[in-house]
Amino acid sequence: MGRSRAPNAVGQAVTVGTAVAVVAALARPVAAHGGTLGGAARETATVPTWLLVATGGGVVGASFLLASFATDREFVASIHAGRREIPVPARTVLVWIARAVGLTALAAVLVVGFTGPTDALSNTAVLVVWAGWWAGFSMTTYLVGNAWPVLNPWRTLAAAVPSVGRTYIWRGGAWASVAGLLALVWLEVVSPLADEPRTLATTVLAYSVVTLAGCVVYETDAWFRSVDPVARVFRYYGAVAPAGIDDDGSLALRVPGAGLTDDILGGVDEVAFVVALLWVTTFDGLVATPAWEAVATTVVGWGLPPEILYPAALVAGFGLFFGIYLLAAHAARETADTFVAAPTLARRFAPSLLAIAAGYHVAHFLGYFVRLIPALSLSVTAPFETVNPEVIVLPDWFGLIGIFGVLGGHVLAIAAAHAVAFDLFPGRIQAIRSQYPFIVAMVFYTMVSLWVVTRPDVQPPYI
Amino acid sequence: MSDTDSIETAASERTDGTAYDVPPDRSAVDCEYCGRPFAGESLLALHRGHAHPTQITESECEAFEDAYDAETGQLRRFRLKSLTALVLLYFGLLMVYALVI
Repeated sequence: MGRSRAPNAVGQAVTVGTAVAVVAALARPVAAHGGTLGGAARETATVPTWLLVATGGGVVGASFLLASFATDREFVASIHAGRREIPVPARTVLVWIARAVGLTALAAVLVVGFTGPTDALSNTAVLVVWAGWWAGFSMTTYLVGNAWPVLNPWRTLAAAVPSVGRTYIWRGGAWASVAGLLALVWLEVVSPLADEPRTLATTVLAYSVVTLAGCVVYETDAWFRSVDPVARVFRYYGAVAPAGIDDDGSLALRVPGAGLTDDILGGVDEVAFVVALLWVTTFDGLVATPAWEAVATTVVGWGLPPEILYPAALVAGFGLFFGIYLLAAHAARETADTFVAAPTLARRFAPSLLAIAAGYHVAHFLGYFVRLIPALSLSVTAPFETVNPEVIVLPDWFGLIGIFGVLGGHVLAIAAAHAVAFDLFPGRIQAIRSQYPFIVAMVFYTMVSLWVVTRPDVQPPYI
Repeated sequence: MSDTDSIETAASERTDGTAYDVPPDRSAVDCEYCGRPFAGESLLALHRGHAHPTQITESECEAFEDAYDAETGQLRRFRLKSLTALVLLYFGLLMVYALVI
């Protein structure tokens, strides 16, 4: 069912959304008459991509300029300060229920994946993994809070198995998770994981073996904290969310994005993971663009084996995104005239990128998730039947939610980075100037991402 | 270079995990209360006022207020430029849209 084909509708929606905003701004009759959004969409077919992309970059730049008007230290610090503890009744029972749900889902994915219908839209494994988990559950981690530590079936299983308890010592830090994340996304793009339930079930089984082996050799906590890329993705997304666990272990409500102002990253290696998370969402869409098809065909024409093409592009693109970010951290030392070391700057400002990554995730996956809800519920209630589920047809305006996701992510990111800058630097002008290079990097990421989601979708070549 | 080394050692011992790195060709003024290096007297004065408000002497307090006022003037000019940039960006895009669509 082509998981990465989802952005097509989003692409149109971005066009529609930006156009609606622009049309409204220009107060042209088409909007004033409440003419349907379909009308607005037809109007926008003429918005050239370069203008759309430039508008996106302009929105990010304008948000920064607006944020720079807030220079009162107490006010800036107070924005993210609010906390309200949420009492959780029968916490132990809820945890056990969540663990049971996680285990049941894993068992269902494996059993139905291997023995159920081979039609992707009827198979529980495919729908639970892609629609339910990677699209739906991921959204809850940044919109509500990260429930993965209790839901994670491998953590539950590993807790029941004694651990050898070898100390995990690897000087490479989070680079193992970076490699793991890139490998998972490479696998997702090049293999028919979303079309063939058997392949998917085999992959889940392989992941289970590696993860459980890791938990047995090292300690469960150490494995999920240091190595496992999936747990790290959800933990980082959880920093964006309005609900989170405070230092004292209590569940608390906070301002969305407040977690991004904390010093949550251990070093430049974890910064690399954040940038990788931002990059893989872009890469997922990039490989389905006609431009990629042209580049891929040319490069393979020169003699590069197609098997190397995708991993090479994945790593090269990550290198570019990461290089730009590190360059921004170094440049910030100059613009802010500070002696704070570049790795510290990189570390403190990187969490704000998580809000942007979450925004792109909404734009890429919300429509995909909603369209597949009927198929998902059918596959859960009748796992062994081959069915022909309805696919919800989304109205035109639905894509606007994705646009607001991208914009909302940027607003959270800029607010968080602004607060961090005021926390880090004694001068107010200095704090604002420290943001220049990071804003340039953000504008670049936004423009690349907008360009990708507005391209027409094609089948990625050579896979 | 021994100065830089001692600064880095001090930085690694600090609890907030902020590392400092002074390039060899730059001279830094250090905060006498916590050892953090700054690029100039006014940044140091601002830091002292924000980070050590209860410890500083009267003259340091005055230096903080002067630096703060000087910065307020800079901020006012920055806001004017910022507003100009916003207006140019908004109307620039508006014009482009009017021409293109």
